[in-house]
Formats: sequence, structure tokens, C-alpha cells
Amino acid sequence: MGGELKYEIAQNAYIKLVLHALKHKTAAVNAVLLGRLVTSTDGSHTLQISDAVPLFHSQITLLPPLEIALIQIEEYYGAQDMGIVGYFHANERFDDAELSSVAKNIGDHIYRYFPQAAVILLDNKKLESLPKGKDRSPVMQLYTKDASKNWRHAGSDGSSQLTIKEPSANVVLLDYIASEKWQDIIDFDDHLDDISKDWLNPELFK
Amino acid sequence: MVTKTEETELNRLEIQVDNGGGGAWEYLCLVRKLKVRRSDKVLKHGLSILNDPKKRSNLGPEEWTLYEQVAVAAMDCQCLDVAKDCIKVLQKRFPESKRVGRLEGMLLESKGSWAEAEKAYSSLLEENPFDQVVLKRRVAMAKAQGNMSGAIEWLNKYLETFMADHDAWRELAEIYVSLQMYKQAAYCYEELILSQPTLPLYHLAYAEVLYTLGGLENLQTAKKYYASTIDLTGGKNTRALFGICLCTSAIGQLTKGRNKEEKESPELHSLAATALEKIYKQRAPTKLPLLNSALKGLKI
Repeated sequence: MGGELKYEIAQNAYIKLVLHALKHKTAAVNAVLLGRLVTSTDGSHTLQISDAVPLFHSQITLLPPLEIALIQIEEYYGAQDMGIVGYFHANERFDDAELSSVAKNIGDHIYRYFPQAAVILLDNKKLESLPKGKDRSPVMQLYTKDASKNWRHAGSDGSSQLTIKEPSANVVLLDYIASEKWQDIIDFDDHLDDISKDWLNPELFK
Repeated sequence: MVTKTEETELNRLEIQVDNGGGGAWEYLCLVRKLKVRRSDKVLKHGLSILNDPKKRSNLGPEEWTLYEQVAVAAMDCQCLDVAKDCIKVLQKRFPESKRVGRLEGMLLESKGSWAEAEKAYSSLLEENPFDQVVLKRRVAMAKAQGNMSGAIEWLNKYLETFMADHDAWRELAEIYVSLQMYKQAAYCYEELILSQPTLPLYHLAYAEVLYTLGGLENLQTAKKYYASTIDLTGGKNTRALFGICLCTSAIGQLTKGRNKEEKESPELHSLAATALEKIYKQRAPTKLPLLNSALKGLKI
């Protein structure tokens, strides 16, 4: 592969992830990232994260619900030519900015099937200061696997940062936060508790 | 822990109060009774009562309970000025009170003044070493600072004395799960099942931890506890039904090539699969094709 791999997340996926974390402020939450690897005419490669499925907000390290979720998610998105390309995690505590071993484990699992996998950690401090500034960058930190197979924080050595496809995504996000839109978001935990709740969130952005 | 009926009633009241239909005091009492964490609503509606002198006097002696409830909710929402005001009122009314002393400790906690909070709690414990609330605050402080091993140590010490505190066992189990210490989490759930054997939540949690631990014996036991969950919930628990299918599939993988006697009978699996199909057809028909291919993948 020539050139540095770029990482881009679509607005809808980005907003879903943040709203999910805001709905469950007192818990750790996670999500899977769906998308595909795209090669443009100039030969550069971009990992496009087009959608996200919020997973759990309680006991997130347990395997059975995770396995059920991944089977169904892969099946659904596979039919749309998208795959699981990464994992999102938000820590329980506000001042915890470390990538937990849980996140690394799940990241490892995804990496086994998709070597360009991205692991994204919610940046609580950036999220808190979002209303105060005009920052267009995502309130998240990107981690990718380096040559020694460790999860490395992107951007620390000039490598590709995560960008949002739509430049005004943070404006839209702030709007949703103000209207408490997070109440409408459904994750896989909610689905397992009441299967009439749809983890695809089809009505969320209508 | 809250039952579905209790939660529905609570949500109904919450929507009613939110939309100006009254019932704020009822709602606040229910939140207190069920011990749920709805701090932003408690703060909003509690303050509306406290800031209205007429409503406040109507409460009579319950006024002080409300001040306490609103103080805690305010701290949870980081509205420390509101919390401080509520606590001041309570200090004036109940000088030298231990109960107010606890709130002062919590206020120090919410400011992040850990050392001072620890001092406050230690002195409260000197007078009453068995103050459960303060002992639990110590655990909470450790957890809030990210000191998980400290939290575990304090919580285990607490449980040596108060071994009937189910909430504490659950908290410990959840801490262990978050740290991927599944064996220890399993032990906690075993204690819970022993003391409350008819609560399906514990059977389910135990099964999920055992499955995560893995290994043939754990999978077989997990399957048993998924089955008992289904029994205790009248077959309505989706997680348990999925659990049976996952267990059967995983056990099948591990016992491939072994004698026929050691193989599991597929009846439980097909019963669970059928039940899942029925439930999905009824309540999530758009997901039925996904369910079917998932189940196909799990067939032994």
C-alpha cells in the first residue's frame, strides 16, 4: 500500500457514537464501526467509517451478548458490502483517557479479520469543551496497530488523525445535544432487553 | 434492582411531571424508594418544590429529606453551589448530625478533595465503625480515582461484615467483570444465587460470566444456568435463549470427534431457537432473517 492510510468517519456514525455515550454518562459504553477501505484515483487509501452500531452500556466485557451482536451486525452490513472496520469505546470515568485492555482485546479480535482496523476512544475533555469552541475535529482519539503490533495513539508522531467527512458535524452534534437527542438512541443492550427496539436506529436522523 | 412494572410506573410519572402535569413529590418519593439514579430530573423537580415556600411548607418534616435528596442529585450533576446551599440548610436545622456529616463528606468528594473527604469519613467512622453508607463511600472514592484494587479491597472488607448486602456483592461482581477478573466475578454471583436462588438476574449473569471464562465444564454449567433463567422467566428472556444456542454451539465445537455419549442432546437448542423465532416474528419481524442466519451459523 502506498502512502499513509487516512481515517474518515461519516457524520451519522460520529453522532451516533457520541449520543450513545451521553445517554449512559455513568457507564462505559462501546460500539462497532462499519465501513470499507477505499482507494482513490491518486492511489491514496482511506478507511471510511460510514456507520456505527452502539453495543452495550453494562457489563461490556461479557462475551455472549458481544458474539450475538457481531454475528447479526456482520450479516446485515455484509449484504451492503460493508464490514466491521473498528471498535469504539468510552470510559466510565471522566478523567480516564487510557485505552483499556478490554478495548485492546476487542480491537485485536477485529484486527485479526481486518488489519487496518481502527480503535477509537471518546475524548471526554474534548467533548466537554465542545460548546466553547469552533473545533471541527472529532471529540475522539484514534488508535491503530503499529509495526510492533501495539495499539498506538494516532497523531502523536505525525501519523494520520481521524477526520469527519462532513465539516459541520460538530455543529449538528451540539444541536442534538441541546435537544437531548441521546434519549432516542438504541443500543444492542436495549435490543436484548426488548427486541422491538431496533439497534439500526433507522428513525434517529429522520 | 427495579422490576419492569416499577420502571414503567416511574417513567410514566416522570413524563407526567416533565410535561407540567404535577406529581413531582410522588415522583421524587418513588425515585427514593426504588433507589434509581435520575439526578438531573430529581434536581430539576426537587428544586422547583424547594424554591417555592408554599410547596415547601406543605411537605412538613419531609422537607429535610428532600433537601438531602436534592443535595445528592446536585452533586451528581456537578451543581456544587446548589448542593452546598442544601447542605447549609440541613446543617442549620441539624447541627452535629452524622447524616449531614456524610453529605459534607460527599461534597468534598464531588470537589475532588479526596484527602479531606477521607479525613471526614475517617472521623465519622471513629464514632461509628459500622456506618454502612460511609464505608461504601470509601469504596466509591477509590473507584472514582481509578484505584480499582483499592475499591476491591475496601469492598471485600465491607462484605466480610455485611455479607447480606446484595447490592454490594453485585457492585463487586461488576467491578470484577469490568477488569476481566471473571473467576472472582463468578464467585460473587454464586454468593448471590445462594442467598436469592429465585432471582433470574443472578442466574443469567452467572451463566454469561461462565461462558466468558470458557472451557468445557464452564460452558456446560453456563448452559444449565441459562436454562434455569429461562425456567424462572417463563421463557421470555431473550439473552438466556441466545445463551443456550451459543453454549450448545461452543460445546459442540469442543467435543467434536468425541464419543457420541459425551455429545449434548440438541433438544434444548432447538427449543430455544424455536422460541427465539417466535419472539422475533411477533415483536421484531424485520430482524427475523438476521436471526435465522445467526441461528443457522450456531447449529451444531
